[in-house]
Amino acid sequence: MAEELASNNDSNVDYEKARASLDRLYNIYKDIASTADEVMQTRCPYKNAASRCTAKFGCRNQFFTTDPTSLPACAGSDQIDYREAWDQ
Amino acid sequence: MPITHEGLAREFEFVSSPGERKHISEAIDGTAPIMQELAYELIVGNNTEVDRLTQEALADGFTANQLLDDGLLNGMAIVGVKFRDNLIFVPEVLVAARAMKAGMVHIEPILSASGAKPAGTIIMGTVKGDLHDIGKNLCIMMLRGAGFVVHDIGVDSSPDDFINAAVEHSAEVVGMSALLTTTMPNMGRTIAAFEEMGLRDEVRIMVGGAPVTQDFADEMGADAYGDNAVDAVDKAKELVLLLAELRSS
Repeated sequence: MAEELASNNDSNVDYEKARASLDRLYNIYKDIASTADEVMQTRCPYKNAASRCTAKFGCRNQFFTTDPTSLPACAGSDQIDYREAWDQ
Repeated sequence: MPITHEGLAREFEFVSSPGERKHISEAIDGTAPIMQELAYELIVGNNTEVDRLTQEALADGFTANQLLDDGLLNGMAIVGVKFRDNLIFVPEVLVAARAMKAGMVHIEPILSASGAKPAGTIIMGTVKGDLHDIGKNLCIMMLRGAGFVVHDIGVDSSPDDFINAAVEHSAEVVGMSALLTTTMPNMGRTIAAFEEMGLRDEVRIMVGGAPVTQDFADEMGADAYGDNAVDAVDKAKELVLLLAELRSS
């Protein structure tokens, strides 16, 4: 499918414009990576915006609810090095 | 024309800086409804919808440039702002990056056909015994953004997993990540396995992760150490160049 779409559209591509777009995307990602480095100093990177744990491994800060379909809540305080709570 | 997509208009309200509001609204205003929908689905991390909408838009005659500029990039720009302002966090960013990939899968072949070549092919995984994948996933996001073809072999990857993936995809670079000091030695074991298989000269190997240092990388016999996701991209580019030079000499 991707190849078919490619052959239908490749003649319409402005390569220089696409290059500029990809550079812009890379710069957005660079800013994101820099923010991530900062945020990870004080907040567990596996904790989502709803303070639920997205890790696929055990952590002492995971607080499981009775709903088996929901992600565990994070009971971490973020005041200590959260990495020590991860199962080794 | 204002932002017509209700969900995207709602997401746009999270952009508070006047300069950014002007810049992003100018980029979105006047774009086709399907592009606004694409941007919105990327922000909320719906990779299935991004995949479907990208295919639909291409079939309807939208160009790869329009998909990038009017859809995917506008969405990722808002993701970047929301992340910086602590409205979303690393898991939401990675879900948006996965949605970006779902769209780029259809756009990359078009760019390749027009002359754009990938920066290189990389295998990325966390070493045996290590399930901590956030650092690896951020590196993958960056590497893909820099134009690399990345094959993610996931977590808890054995030396054979790395070797098989490198051979299958003719990778130039293998990237290994470890977060635990207890699993770091598996980087050395994986490098030794490449040597035993006679493949050490075929690929360049880079390592990274919170406890990993340049000294450790040297001791393990790695070709490069990435201190962070941006550094990993720079090192990967250097390694691809180095390998090309070695192959041509």
